[in-house]
Amino acid sequence: MCFILHIELYLIIMLRQRPYLLNILLLLIAFVFSIALGAVFIPPETILRILADQLPGINIVPDWPNSFAAIILAVRLPHTVLVALTGAALASSGAAYQGLFRNPLADPYLIGVASGAGLGAVIAMTFNWPTDLFGFYLIPVGAFIGAITTVLLVYNMARVNGMVPLTTLILAGVAIGAFASALTSSLMLRTDLQIHRAITFLLGGSPIAGWDPVTAALPYMVIGMGLLSLSGHMLNVLQFGEEEAKQMGLAVDRAKIFVVVTASLTTAVAVAFSGVIGFVGLIVPHIIRLLWGADYRRIIPLSILGGSSMLLLADMLARILLAPSTLPVGIVTALAGAPFFLWILRRAKKEVFW
Amino acid sequence: MLTITSLQVAYDPKVVLKDISLKVSPGEILALIGPNGAGKTTLIRAVSGTTPILSGQIHVDGRELSELSTAQRAKVLAVVPQARQLGGAYSVEQAVMMGRTAYMSWLGRENKTDRVAVQLALQQARLEDFAHRQIAQLSGGEQQRVLLARALAQSTPVLLLDEPTNHLDLQHQTNLLSLVKKLTKEKELAVMMAMHDLNLVSFFADKVALLVNGELKHFGTPQEVIQAEHISEAYQTPVEIVSHPVTGVPIIFPQGVLNHTE
Repeated sequence: MCFILHIELYLIIMLRQRPYLLNILLLLIAFVFSIALGAVFIPPETILRILADQLPGINIVPDWPNSFAAIILAVRLPHTVLVALTGAALASSGAAYQGLFRNPLADPYLIGVASGAGLGAVIAMTFNWPTDLFGFYLIPVGAFIGAITTVLLVYNMARVNGMVPLTTLILAGVAIGAFASALTSSLMLRTDLQIHRAITFLLGGSPIAGWDPVTAALPYMVIGMGLLSLSGHMLNVLQFGEEEAKQMGLAVDRAKIFVVVTASLTTAVAVAFSGVIGFVGLIVPHIIRLLWGADYRRIIPLSILGGSSMLLLADMLARILLAPSTLPVGIVTALAGAPFFLWILRRAKKEVFW
Repeated sequence: MLTITSLQVAYDPKVVLKDISLKVSPGEILALIGPNGAGKTTLIRAVSGTTPILSGQIHVDGRELSELSTAQRAKVLAVVPQARQLGGAYSVEQAVMMGRTAYMSWLGRENKTDRVAVQLALQQARLEDFAHRQIAQLSGGEQQRVLLARALAQSTPVLLLDEPTNHLDLQHQTNLLSLVKKLTKEKELAVMMAMHDLNLVSFFADKVALLVNGELKHFGTPQEVIQAEHISEAYQTPVEIVSHPVTGVPIIFPQGVLNHTE
């Protein structure tokens, strides 16, 4: 018994020293279980065999019902991939906003960017809903315009003497976010959108199933998160303040624009296809910072991995809690995230973060 | 060599620095003194490029600073900011490595030269034993040495310090200034430093510039500038000055103190 405990302890210590390995393992587990769960439970082993069967050059004699392959490939796999991408995007852009604003409470949802992106996406959708593939590629563009407009508005309203204090940032974010949400709701009710889709979108959940949203989101996501992963050093230097960052040789204005544009692009694509989901961008980078330190060269890639796992977990809960009906995943993240937010707020009062 | 020629700075519409010309040679510490609001910090900021200048030129070794990019400027001129509480969960080594930003690609990949420069800077600022400590856990004096090391890691010929001993106790004040003095001589740095404590100025500075209301009133050695007449006028308060019995540097007292003790 004692020996087994020892091994577990050793494992925990080892995995903490290998953050990438740990997060990749967690993601793989979450990924497989997300595919397994549903009206019919499909054993993980069968899932792996069905997926392996799809790879070129591998042929496995099927010992599973035909419907399994169809369920996995047409429904659960695309859903799981979209949820994982969304979680990764929200967590990594949340981490980038936190670094940019030097404020641990910046989250795409709390600072209103997600709502702004939602408004942009819905404006784009009203031109073309339900969507053909061309319309699909326009939704992220609308969301991006909405996101970047919001972030600039919030930033300028929240800025006091070159600093972005916690209170003004959240107040400005909430005000502008509420305004954008109200516009979004009224737009959705005025047009002949299906009310269920609209509500799902606003509460955070993917209104469209299948591979279409995945293929539409993927290129933007890869570019956005790829560029965010490169911004770690700039964000590190910016933690000393803009003036000192400049004296250390960082082209501050260029760095800020780079981060704002890439983080807003990443948020916008997530919102365009998965709706307005809050708190993932807050919780994930925070846990990572607590466990593995403040180096943004690490925080961003780890947030990509951790954000995927976290949103997959929330999404599984959303599907299980009220089965057979499904909760919008945004409700689950808000239920878990709001208390977490209050906890950080209490800590932030006592501690100097940056 | 740092050369400032006819520098003017204005915060619209007020002119805050009027026609300042100064020269700092390698191996020399120039102390900027003057009452609050005289323009010491503004001069540091203007030279470092964070405050725009109205007119005039700033040269380092013959190169005009306004023609340099942010990164190029950070390779000729480093700044040690005012002491303050540093937060953030960076280790000392990571923080000092950020001084190499100008030499890195925009991705922040560090190479061997960067690592050597950081080790040297840590050594020079006597921080080798602290390399892996978190800066937030260090004392005020140690944190100030981290900021000094970060500036040294920039490997520049010119160093600017903005009241580096503010909020430090006597021991850390003298430690830091002795360290700066030693490095100035060893590395042939041209150092410009805004300072408040005039007695520390006379001990550590080679040249002194007295600023009042944005104008350069006096410029020279400590003996030349720190004279009762100049200081009393600049600070609007009567002072007396005696020579240190051993070193001969001027020591300053508020007027009346000497009479009382006799």
